[in-house]
Amino acid sequence: MTNEELKALAVNKSVDARGTACPGPLLEAKKAMGTIDEGQIMEVLSADEGTKIDIPKWCKKQGHEYLGTVEESGYFKIYLKKQ
Amino acid sequence: MGKLVIGLSSGSIDKLTGAGVMMAGAAADDMEIEVYVLLTAARAFIKGNEDLQDSVADYPHLKDEFCARLKEINVPTWVEFFEQAAEFTDVKVYICSLAGKMWGGEKMEDFNHLVTGFCGIGQYLDEAKEAELHINI
Repeated sequence: MTNEELKALAVNKSVDARGTACPGPLLEAKKAMGTIDEGQIMEVLSADEGTKIDIPKWCKKQGHEYLGTVEESGYFKIYLKKQ
Repeated sequence: MGKLVIGLSSGSIDKLTGAGVMMAGAAADDMEIEVYVLLTAARAFIKGNEDLQDSVADYPHLKDEFCARLKEINVPTWVEFFEQAAEFTDVKVYICSLAGKMWGGEKMEDFNHLVTGFCGIGQYLDEAKEAELHINI
């Protein structure tokens, strides 16, 4: 998906994990994933570089869909769809 | 998703924190976790010793900086990492009976809330052999 498409997504859950370092954002994403329904979209806000790699890999292992990452000023947003 | 077995021999704050980070990662992957606490690591699990662990570090000259940076960047303590992992998956922490004795811990009540029970070295080796991932720290 393009950045514009990602930014236009209707997000069902937003997780602000900018205050935590790896593996905090991953654990926060996992916890939040349990609160949304299949097909719903979650965004994870993080400033931790390792998270950019870990969350897409985690999605693959857990069977969720990684939609993409958008860079913001000083942090990024990772978009996931629960499967 | 398999099992992570950690052989934890070091009681230094560096290694305890490292073990906690790995446990949190494994918990995110729904791996079962078994930690076998050996030798000096057992000292950290004696009741009341959790906060004393910053007195031990692999790099003593960096100890204060290490601890200060952990706080500054909001990294959980090693105890909190162990607790977080247990929120997501089955975590068992076994104290080697020899290691326990070394530090005055011979009964369960001598150890903190993280500890599941005692083990012998045979149990650790058997579980390490069967585990999907085995890390010795």
